[in-house]
Amino acid sequence: MTRTAIYKMSLAAIFGLVSGIAGYQFYEHRHYQAPIIAGPGVTRVVKLHEYCPSLKGTPADTDVFFLEGAGDGGTVLLVANTHSNEPAARLTAEIFLENCTIQKGRLIVIPQFNNSGSRNTKPGDGYPLYFEIPTAWGKKKFRMGNRNASPLDSWPDPDVYIHYPDRSLLSYLDVRNTNRTWPGRPDGPLMERVCFAAMELIRNEQVDVAIDIHGAETMFPVTNCIVAPEKSSRIATMVQLMTQAMEGFTVNVYPSPQNFRGLSHREIGDYSNAMPFLLEAPIPFLDQPTGPKTEELLLTGRDPLLLSLARQGKLFVPYDEYGWPMKNRVGQHCSVILEIMNQLSQASPERAVVAENVPRYKDVLEHDVGYYYHNPATADPARVYPN
Amino acid sequence: MYLHIGVILLVMAAAYTAANRLKLSVELRMLSATLAGGITGAFFHTPPLMQLGRHMIEGSFTYLDVMLVFVTATIFIEIMATSGSVNFVVRGIVTTFFRVRMLALFLLMFVILIPGALTGAGSVSVLTVGAPCALALGYLGVSRGRSAAILFIIAGLSAAAPPVNIWAMIVSAGTAIPYVGFELPLGIPVLLLGTFTMLTLGWRQEQRLSLEQVLAEMPPVPEGMAWWRVALPFGVFFGLVVIGRVLPFTIPIMGLPLQFVLSAAVALAVSPGPINILTLSRDTVKKLTPLLATMAVVGAMQQVMTVTGVKGLISFAVISVPLIMLYALLVFIIPASEGVLTYGGAAIIGIPLVWFLDSRGLHATVVIAGLSLLWPLGDGLPPTALIGRLTMMVTEYRESYISFLKKTWIPWLAITLVGILMVIFSAKLAFLVEWSM
Repeated sequence: MTRTAIYKMSLAAIFGLVSGIAGYQFYEHRHYQAPIIAGPGVTRVVKLHEYCPSLKGTPADTDVFFLEGAGDGGTVLLVANTHSNEPAARLTAEIFLENCTIQKGRLIVIPQFNNSGSRNTKPGDGYPLYFEIPTAWGKKKFRMGNRNASPLDSWPDPDVYIHYPDRSLLSYLDVRNTNRTWPGRPDGPLMERVCFAAMELIRNEQVDVAIDIHGAETMFPVTNCIVAPEKSSRIATMVQLMTQAMEGFTVNVYPSPQNFRGLSHREIGDYSNAMPFLLEAPIPFLDQPTGPKTEELLLTGRDPLLLSLARQGKLFVPYDEYGWPMKNRVGQHCSVILEIMNQLSQASPERAVVAENVPRYKDVLEHDVGYYYHNPATADPARVYPN
Repeated sequence: MYLHIGVILLVMAAAYTAANRLKLSVELRMLSATLAGGITGAFFHTPPLMQLGRHMIEGSFTYLDVMLVFVTATIFIEIMATSGSVNFVVRGIVTTFFRVRMLALFLLMFVILIPGALTGAGSVSVLTVGAPCALALGYLGVSRGRSAAILFIIAGLSAAAPPVNIWAMIVSAGTAIPYVGFELPLGIPVLLLGTFTMLTLGWRQEQRLSLEQVLAEMPPVPEGMAWWRVALPFGVFFGLVVIGRVLPFTIPIMGLPLQFVLSAAVALAVSPGPINILTLSRDTVKKLTPLLATMAVVGAMQQVMTVTGVKGLISFAVISVPLIMLYALLVFIIPASEGVLTYGGAAIIGIPLVWFLDSRGLHATVVIAGLSLLWPLGDGLPPTALIGRLTMMVTEYRESYISFLKKTWIPWLAITLVGILMVIFSAKLAFLVEWSM
């Protein structure tokens, strides 16, 4: 055997080994199940495919949790992990699922809306595969997902994604983005079916308020805010005023653009009676000019490069040495959601949704996020939903 | 943090320089820098050592879609070239417009623009239609040096032209800005600058030949070749694209790679002579391997630079520059980034730059279009000088590389000016995006 042949075979072997290890890590990530515990308020759990049968058996199908109160009232829908690289959404949804009880009305929670995206990674962006939240009983481990569904589940992409039914032209990647495929259709690409199922749920369950939880870069103008269309703007403004006055944090209100189609805050309002709200909390991890993309940055939101840019006035949110820790983002989401429910109840008492045992901003800051998660090892197995 | 990122950046630069000294190819130079950066990063646990392989592999998939388009589009174009279609078109243009020289130059510009516009790679234009077009330019009295300059500039513009602009696709994907609305912001400057290039470099007729002499010297066209054999494959491709746009909710999603494969099948079927598709595919992929490797390595490099914080530091440096100075620096930074990193420059500098300019109220799509005009210029700059070297090869220009570059200075300046003005006045040019949609 020549020296060149040995050299080539050695390189091939090293490449094979590295690829094998990486492949195993991707496989583990795609199949890792993070348990969701149905708390005392959860009355039933169904699959999303019940609202769109063509989702059945696909990797996009996901659990829908119902929390139903004894008294009549309205219905609020919480949608989390539309973008699975904005994890404060799922952490917030799980706080509601594990702790909340409903006195009046109903709360419906979809904690993993883009299930396929949560099992996908984002090539080029160097995310960690997982992150862990400290709790009283140990660390709870979550998958770090991607903004878009996995090409393993939805491929090929079109050269340009044409939004249904508006025909707006969007990036080819947006065919896998569940915040561009609303309101969807039952026989469209997979993510359109996910959004169609959610629209059917909203229409059939007569949802009054739909809240889609997100995160956005500190250098992106639409961050730290509530995005609301005309029909939701009064409540959004009241929430802004109330949280600022009562809880000491500021979220802005942005109108939902009429011509930018496919987004939840636009299409849910246009294609149902529900009032949509999209919540954005800052997530410094997603900003471009940051240091290494580590789990620590994801959880603390603390970065010296961003701090320097903040001092140059180049960020759209207040930012100092404290960063933007996960507990601030999750706490903010909890309070904004509770305040939306409160405002809905005040504006329309017959559609009131009264939730209890959900921490507010200051509670989450005091105890941190993991305090509100229960140990799946000691929970009733029938109440544990792997996801 | 600055120190440890700075150390990683220095190690990457040193590895790149060392690989350059060893005369390794550009993709191996970038791979060396990526590996060195990743291993150094692992000392700081950014990334953890056991994750380094995963980051390298994951990153190399960043531009998989683009690579698939690249391969299938190039096979399509190669079939067209092998069947004699390109020679047929060039001969047709020269014969018909020999006495209307400027019109012939204008049509040749389109012949050079089409392959690159369809594939997003100026190299495809150079490799497939470069040689016959350079010959045709010579028959029309353009000197060899100026022909090479024309081919380089127009091939660069072809890569920037719609529908496939890889720099814009990379930046759009990285900034979550839709890759739509680029047709006019890219198409109009490309056509204007292409015409300007043809006029400035092709105006002077340095030798005069008779049509008979020219036709005798031109490569032969296979017997049976006809206009319909040229038009049908392109018709199928554009037909598939158009039908997908007109009936998007009826026609299943095919994707560009399959559309190119189907068009290639038609091109194969209507070729006047037999073509060994297996040999052609193998040779095409062989020819493309350096470019495909570059794309894969650029993705891996992007990921390693992100996870180590190097990309963030570079972004930070770019964003921290005062806006006026930034505009001036773009003239150098953008082509230089392409010269060193090929498409990596779009990912590493383009993405944060567009984020920043977008947040300052500039129109992101027009900004990307403006920057896209500057990136191809870097394909003539060392150390890669990818298109520049290819151009010299296919035009058989034997003088020094510097003398070749000097011949491009007028269109180079015009492109730079237009690109920068598009960035600065992007908000005022937003109507081009709206009209495209």
